[in-house]
Amino acid sequence: MKIIELNSVSKTYNSGSARALDNVSLKIGRGERVVILGPSGCGKTTILRLVAGFIAPDSGSISVGGKLVAKNGRVIVPPEKRHLGMVFQDLALWPHLTVKGNIEFGLKARGIAKAERVIRIRDILDLVGMADYSRRKPAELSGGQQQRVALARALVLEPGVLLMDEPLSSLDLELNVRLRKEILRLQEKFSFTLLYVTHDRNEAFDIATRIVIMDKGSVIDEKRNFAPDR
Amino acid sequence: MQKRVFLAIIIVLLLLVGLLPVFSMLVNSLGLDSHFSFVAYEGVLTSRHQWVLMGHSMALSSIVTVFAVAVGVPLGILFGKTDFPFRSFFMFLFAIPLLIPPYITAVSWFDLLGREGLLAPFMGPQLTAAAGRFLFGLPGSALVLFSTFLSIPMILTMVFLKAVNPRLEEAGLLASGWRGVLKGITIPLILPGILLSAILVFLLSFGEFGVPNFLRYDVFPVESFTQFSAFYNFKAATAAAVPLAALTLAILAGEVWFLRKKGSQLRPSPDAATAFPIPLGKYRRLMFSSATVLGLVLVVLPFSVLVIQSAGIKNYVEAFNRAGDSIVRSILYAASGAVLLTFIGFFTGYLIQTKAVKFWRTIDFITIFLFALPGTVIGIGLVSLWNRPWANLIYGTSAIIILGYLARYTALTSRICATRLSQIPPSMEEAAQVAGAGWFRRMILIVAPLARRSIFAAFIVGYIFSLRDTGITMLVYPAGHDTLPVRIFTLMANGSSRLIAALCIIMIAITIVPAAILWAISRPVAGKEMT
Repeated sequence: MKIIELNSVSKTYNSGSARALDNVSLKIGRGERVVILGPSGCGKTTILRLVAGFIAPDSGSISVGGKLVAKNGRVIVPPEKRHLGMVFQDLALWPHLTVKGNIEFGLKARGIAKAERVIRIRDILDLVGMADYSRRKPAELSGGQQQRVALARALVLEPGVLLMDEPLSSLDLELNVRLRKEILRLQEKFSFTLLYVTHDRNEAFDIATRIVIMDKGSVIDEKRNFAPDR
Repeated sequence: MQKRVFLAIIIVLLLLVGLLPVFSMLVNSLGLDSHFSFVAYEGVLTSRHQWVLMGHSMALSSIVTVFAVAVGVPLGILFGKTDFPFRSFFMFLFAIPLLIPPYITAVSWFDLLGREGLLAPFMGPQLTAAAGRFLFGLPGSALVLFSTFLSIPMILTMVFLKAVNPRLEEAGLLASGWRGVLKGITIPLILPGILLSAILVFLLSFGEFGVPNFLRYDVFPVESFTQFSAFYNFKAATAAAVPLAALTLAILAGEVWFLRKKGSQLRPSPDAATAFPIPLGKYRRLMFSSATVLGLVLVVLPFSVLVIQSAGIKNYVEAFNRAGDSIVRSILYAASGAVLLTFIGFFTGYLIQTKAVKFWRTIDFITIFLFALPGTVIGIGLVSLWNRPWANLIYGTSAIIILGYLARYTALTSRICATRLSQIPPSMEEAAQVAGAGWFRRMILIVAPLARRSIFAAFIVGYIFSLRDTGITMLVYPAGHDTLPVRIFTLMANGSSRLIAALCIIMIAITIVPAAILWAISRPVAGKEMT
């Protein structure tokens, strides 16, 4: 069984005037690291937003974990019930909450008991090397530290699938390369399925086990990537 | 699901509170003994007197609009675009007349230039008579409404200037000086904002009845008020109010059509903070002196007269004795109105900003339409809808006043909240959604805290406008529930000028204190949230 399935998905914006996706089908197996690679405007972020549930496909269907979540213009399962993790391009760390508050938010929303929350927050902060920063606000952190908090916030919920939307695009090359390795380390530890969007070929080849190349709303090629750099 | 149901409730509430009264008024004006009839309109449309009144209204609002835009836009550019000193102080100074009931400004000018005014002993009988002729009539009404609404084009110009991408101006600066850039790039880009401000000034001065009534210049909105309050001819009152509603609708629809064509949006440019101000250089002193003189004449002078007239503890003791209950009620009603306006405005702003429903533009248009509608029209609409035996719990209590505030001022609080919400990246709410949070949790724990300054600003603006309201409250207040602006208005007929001046100062004080708080917090807002 595939953990993510897109079947003949099309999507247009601006009341049909701008076609973002044209009849795209994609199947992703459990534990895969799939990178969608393509230029700006090719529809790669639209795929992430469809899988997350922020938008509905005009036609076609989407399944997550074997369950139909969206079909023909209708969101069947809303994002908050899909149990996915996501790291946004702008990271979307809530500026009014501390690092701990950012990580704890999802745990509270899912009704996790306080004792367990404390343990999970401590563990994840240790894992991303941010244990000493739990009381800081996002604005008091460097770009790399914010990146780690965003990862921790997504991973603390132990999602089966992690969606990442060009999360390293704003970082300098050295930090970018270091964090790629960190993402791989975390993926190995948690064994989540990774759906990663980027326009950077090097990033794609470093991370992916499979690369999906897109252009003008269509998948134009797919490649197995046998030797990701660890 | 939570989101859809809740926003649907907010929409239904808006329609019930705002549109239904106007619709009820329209239906009422067409019914005679349960039969469809235009009889009520015949009196309005065939009378020459009514057309003269309409002409007066047009003349007054046109003059006010021309002057307010001609002075307000340069002031907005001066305060929003240049290195003019003490900009925020001057902005606050010129906004003061807008924050209080306009007739209070009229009272202050009367206390200055009137027969028994402060200047009368120095001017001599002939000059005093000339000043009286100036004040009582078109010029005086225009002066008062000009000073009241001057800050609308000023503020909207400043807001729209924030939406101009500084890179566009910098590109122009490579080929021309600032004068050329302003003329060829900046002003054409903010033209929709100038147009919007002109329309608002025109409609607000067209619907104003307190000032022309006090300065004895007969205008159209006074007619429906008089028909209702003096003759209790409800059908004639509604028939007189419907043309006002139709005119407002037509002008706003034209504005929406124009703005949509221009594709303009009231959304701050992300690069606005990096814009550098225009150096005034050798003109700085001249500009500062001119703005100071204007502020002294339009704001400081008339309100100082009220302070002088009301001087003495005795006047204030009498004021509290005669209107203490109205003062307390005013604050209570305005605070209650502000809480509800903030609540509904926040969610209306949210649904407009996130385009949560397909007809979000219609919702936005309805709120603006209700704001631009004369207060007397909304008042008559509320009476038309709620003056029924089964609705006594609303019509016979202060609830009817609060409904009036909600109907008219939701546009202000929703726009304030929508502007801030437009600056919050959608990913903030989406991140909470992916984390498993339902809509209410996202609203309470993420969106509202991120918009907290704007929510507070919306509360203060809601409070100020509810507090200054005269047109609606005058028509709908139940016995024993009058507010301070209404009490002052009724006392003006037989109260001493010292008592009126003292009441006006109290009115200004209970308005200005929260406005000053807003001014204080809006400075960090301008720096942090608006950029």
